[in-house]
Amino acid sequence: MSTAESTTSPNPGLRDRVGTVFTVRPLTVGLALFWVWVLARWTTDFVLAGVLGLDRGTPFVPAAPFLTTADTVASLAAPLGVAGAPLVWLADTLRFAADATAYLPALAHGIWTTVLLTVFSVCLGFTLALPLSVVRVYGGRWARWLALSYTELIRGTPLLAQLFVLYFATSLTQVLRGVPGVGVGFVPAQAFWVAVISFTLNSAAYQSEYLRASLESVDGGQLTAARAIGLSKLEGIRYVVVPQGLRLALPSWTNELVYLIKYSSLASFITVQELYGRTSTIANETYQYTELFVLVAILYLALVVSASALMDRVESHTATAGVGHTRQ
Amino acid sequence: MTQPLLSIDDLHKSYGSEEVLEGVGLEMEQGDVTVLIGPSGSGKSTLLRCVNRLTEINSGRIALDGQDVTGTDTDVNELRKQVGMVFQDFNLFAHLTALENVTLGPKKVLGMDAADAEEAGRTHLEQVGLLEQADSYPAELSGGQKQRVGIARALAMDPELLLFDEPTSALDPELVGEVVEVMRDLAAEGITMLVVSHEMDFARSAASDIVFLDDGEIVEHGPPEQLFQNPTAERTEQFLSRLHAHEETA
Ligand SMILES: Nc1ncnc2c1ncn2[C@@H]1O[C@H](COP(=O)(O)OP(=O)(O)O)[C@@H](O)[C@H]1O
Ligand SMILES: [Mg+2]
Repeated sequence: MSTAESTTSPNPGLRDRVGTVFTVRPLTVGLALFWVWVLARWTTDFVLAGVLGLDRGTPFVPAAPFLTTADTVASLAAPLGVAGAPLVWLADTLRFAADATAYLPALAHGIWTTVLLTVFSVCLGFTLALPLSVVRVYGGRWARWLALSYTELIRGTPLLAQLFVLYFATSLTQVLRGVPGVGVGFVPAQAFWVAVISFTLNSAAYQSEYLRASLESVDGGQLTAARAIGLSKLEGIRYVVVPQGLRLALPSWTNELVYLIKYSSLASFITVQELYGRTSTIANETYQYTELFVLVAILYLALVVSASALMDRVESHTATAGVGHTRQ
Repeated sequence: MTQPLLSIDDLHKSYGSEEVLEGVGLEMEQGDVTVLIGPSGSGKSTLLRCVNRLTEINSGRIALDGQDVTGTDTDVNELRKQVGMVFQDFNLFAHLTALENVTLGPKKVLGMDAADAEEAGRTHLEQVGLLEQADSYPAELSGGQKQRVGIARALAMDPELLLFDEPTSALDPELVGEVVEVMRDLAAEGITMLVVSHEMDFARSAASDIVFLDDGEIVEHGPPEQLFQNPTAERTEQFLSRLHAHEETA
C-alpha cells in the first residue's frame, strides 16, 4: 500500500518516510508489543509461577499510577464544567486502564485458549478437508455425493447449533471426560475438546470447499501429463495437483483462519473460558461492559492481524511464478 | 522377421455415437520416425492417446514390443514408463522447476534416488540445451524452452517410444526451429518417435514414414519423398496443397 502511494508521489523520499513511520511501523510495533506481553504472560503464569511458587496472574503493571493520574486529570476537569468533558473522558479511561491491569492476566489466559482452539481446529479441519476436497473433485459418484452432503449439511446450519448438538445432545462430553488426562494440568477440560471437535468438523467443510475450488482451477493437462509419465491417478493428484491447489487456496485459507479466530468465541456458550468467555465473565461481575468489550475487540483484532501477517509471509514464501496470483 | 516395436491393428474408437477412428492399422520398427498428418478433427490426437492409454479403445489391437497394450490386465503405469508423451501445450508441472519437472517421474515412478535422478535430469536438460534453465519455473521460460523441457521430461523415463502431439503448434513461429532441432537430434539418435506435426521441414528431413489420416482412416502411408511428391490418393493431394498454401501465407 505505502509503496504504491510512494511511486505516484512527487516527493518519494518524504512520502516513503511518512509511509514507513505512519503505516508500517505502528502496526509492526503494536503487534510486537502485543506478542511480547502475551508470551511474557504465558511464560510467567504457566511456567515460572509453578517453578518459583508465585501467584498466577499477578499484574505486570501496578494500577496505582493510573489512578493517581486519573484523579489529577479529574481535578483539572472539575472547574471547567462542560468544557472539561474530554478530560473527564480521559480520567475515566485511565480508571479503566487501572482496572484493566487486573483483568489483563485473565484475558491473556483466554488468548491462550483461543489460540489453541483455533490452531487445533484449523489444522485438524485441514486434514479432513484435503481428502474431502479430493473426493469432491476426483471421487466416484457416491463418494462425491457423500462429501457434498456433508459439506452442505455443515455449511447450511449454524455453527452454534452444531456446537450445542455435540455438547448437549450427544454423550461426547461424558466420553471425553472419561479420557485419561483430559482436564489434568495443562490439558484443557472436556468442553474445550467438544469445541475443538465441533469447529474441526465445521472448518473441514468450509476448507474443503475452498480446496475444491482450487483443485478444480488447476489445469486438467497437469494431471494428464502426470499420468503420461506413469504416475497413478492418486500420485498425480498428490504430487502435481494438490501442491498447486494448496497454493491457490492460501488466500481463502487465510480467511478461514480469521473467521475461526472470531467464531471460536462461540465456545464460551459451552463454558469454555476462551478470550470472549473470560471477558464476559469479568464484565458480568464488574458491569464494565463497554470498556471490556472494546478491550477484547482490540485483542481479537491483534490476533486477526497477526494471523493475516503470518499468512502473508507464508504466501510470499511459497509464491511460485505461474502458480496462483504472484506479486512481484 | 523382426517383431515391430509398435503394431496397431484394426483400431476402432468412438466418442458416443461418433466414430473417431475407423479401423486404423500401423506398424513401427525400432528407430522409425513416423509423422502423422491430417486435418483437424481427423483423430490424430485420439490415435496417440490410445497408444499410451490416456484413452480406452473400443476394439482392435495395440501391441508394444509384442505386449498387449489394451488388455484389462495390462499395467497402464508400467506401459506409460515405456511410452513418453510430449503435449501441444507443454503441460509442464507449473509448481516445479525445469529440473524437478524432469526428475519427478524417475523419482516417483522409477524409484531412483534423488541424487541419481538429478544427475540424469541434468544430462537430459543438457541434451535439449537447457542446463542453464534447470532452476527456472515453467512460467519463466519461453514457449520453445517449455517444450524442450517437456521433451526432456519424456526422455528422462528412458522410453522405448516417444509420442509427440503437435509439439510446435502452440509456439510463435520464431520458436519452432529450436524445438524441431531437438526433435531432429533425437531422430538421428535412433529414438522411435510417432509425431503428429505439420512441420514440413521436420517431416522431410527426419521422417522415415508419413501417414495421412483423414476422417478416422489412414488414407495413405509411405516414405516422405513418395507421399509428398507423388501422393496416390486425391484426398492426400488436396490436403497437401492446402497445407502448402497455408505454409506460403504464414
Ligand atoms: N474426449 C473427447 N470426447 C468427445 N469427443 C472427442 C474427445 N476427444 C476428441 N473428440 C472428437 O474426436 C474427433 C477427433 O479428435 P482429435 O483426435 O483430437 O483430432 P485431431 O487431433 O486430429 O485434431 C473430433 O471430432 C473431436 O471432437
Ligand atoms: Mg489434436
